[in-house]
Amino acid sequence: MASEEASRSPRRSRREPEGRAPRQDKYSVLLPTYNERENLPLIVWLLVKSFSESIFQQHAEFGGEVLNDLYFICGINYEIIIIDDGSPDGTRDVAEQLEKIYGSDKILLRPREKKLGLGTAYIHGMKHATGNYVIIMDADLSHHPKFIPEFIRKQKEGNFDIVSGTRYKGNGGVYGWDLKRKIISRGANFITQILLRPGASDLTGSFRLYRKEVLQKLIEKCVSKGYVFQMEMIVRARQLNYTIGEVPISFVDRVYGESKLGGNEIVSFLKGLLTLFATT
Amino acid sequence: MATGTDQVVGLGLVAVSLVIFTYYTAWVILLPFIDSQHVIHKYFLPRAYAVAIPLAAGLLLLLFVGVFITYVMLKNQKVTKKAQ
Repeated sequence: MASEEASRSPRRSRREPEGRAPRQDKYSVLLPTYNERENLPLIVWLLVKSFSESIFQQHAEFGGEVLNDLYFICGINYEIIIIDDGSPDGTRDVAEQLEKIYGSDKILLRPREKKLGLGTAYIHGMKHATGNYVIIMDADLSHHPKFIPEFIRKQKEGNFDIVSGTRYKGNGGVYGWDLKRKIISRGANFITQILLRPGASDLTGSFRLYRKEVLQKLIEKCVSKGYVFQMEMIVRARQLNYTIGEVPISFVDRVYGESKLGGNEIVSFLKGLLTLFATT
Repeated sequence: MATGTDQVVGLGLVAVSLVIFTYYTAWVILLPFIDSQHVIHKYFLPRAYAVAIPLAAGLLLLLFVGVFITYVMLKNQKVTKKAQ
């Protein structure tokens, strides 16, 4: 890891007083949206709240080093990149209004013309991300931004390359699943742990914090789509010897609408799992 | 914490697996060391079944998984044919 040590930007020495302050970490949140007109203002408000209200907590915890004190007093530097895939319900207009409210340095709109998929949304978003850490999450309120300061704390604690929100460890869990869904989820996780031995307890979760260069490298290497894509990211991360930390999160499944898990999804999951097993 | 019925089902699953584990362990590991005239042998089947039953269960499981996957894939094909 020595070469990674040298190339990581926040560890730059104090020869560059102008521009970004030394050790200034910036967190870019990638929000791919599709028909999230009602949820978007809520999630942006929650994000802004989580980022600005966690200053003093962290100051108290890390109050050792002078440099860290300086950094935390300035607040967590963040930006939110909204990648809308041509939503027909007017999500883009809502996003533009949010940009006016919070400022275009905090909210970046990078929309696309049509629904092109999650992996490409991440690639597209990362091109415009100016932070050195990237947070990916769902914009439908199933992930609560209050866990983000936990992610940040955990990452600093263990100097992890990736911090993943887990539903299967600690007091992590899911709200809104019936028994059958829970059993299927646990069963799938069990088989995955046996076959892939990933070293992480939740492979299909999509609430994660990555170092930017780590995410770029992983996206290059991944070939699958959908939630198998999330699984593949973790497996490849293990292959490349990246360190992964975990934070228990609560996942709130859609209270409205159909989120059923049909036989189809189960079979395609098994297919994806076997492909990963055979190719990694 | 999981809701009421979920907890009950979970505990039930744990209890069932404990029972099966204890029975099978006693059957395969303890019984060979116990005198064949002892009364406890009345409660256990002939040892041949200790291999046959898990084997049959495993095969049934594989069969079930295979049928399930075939069923889903066939349904898929029918749906795409209809869509065309």
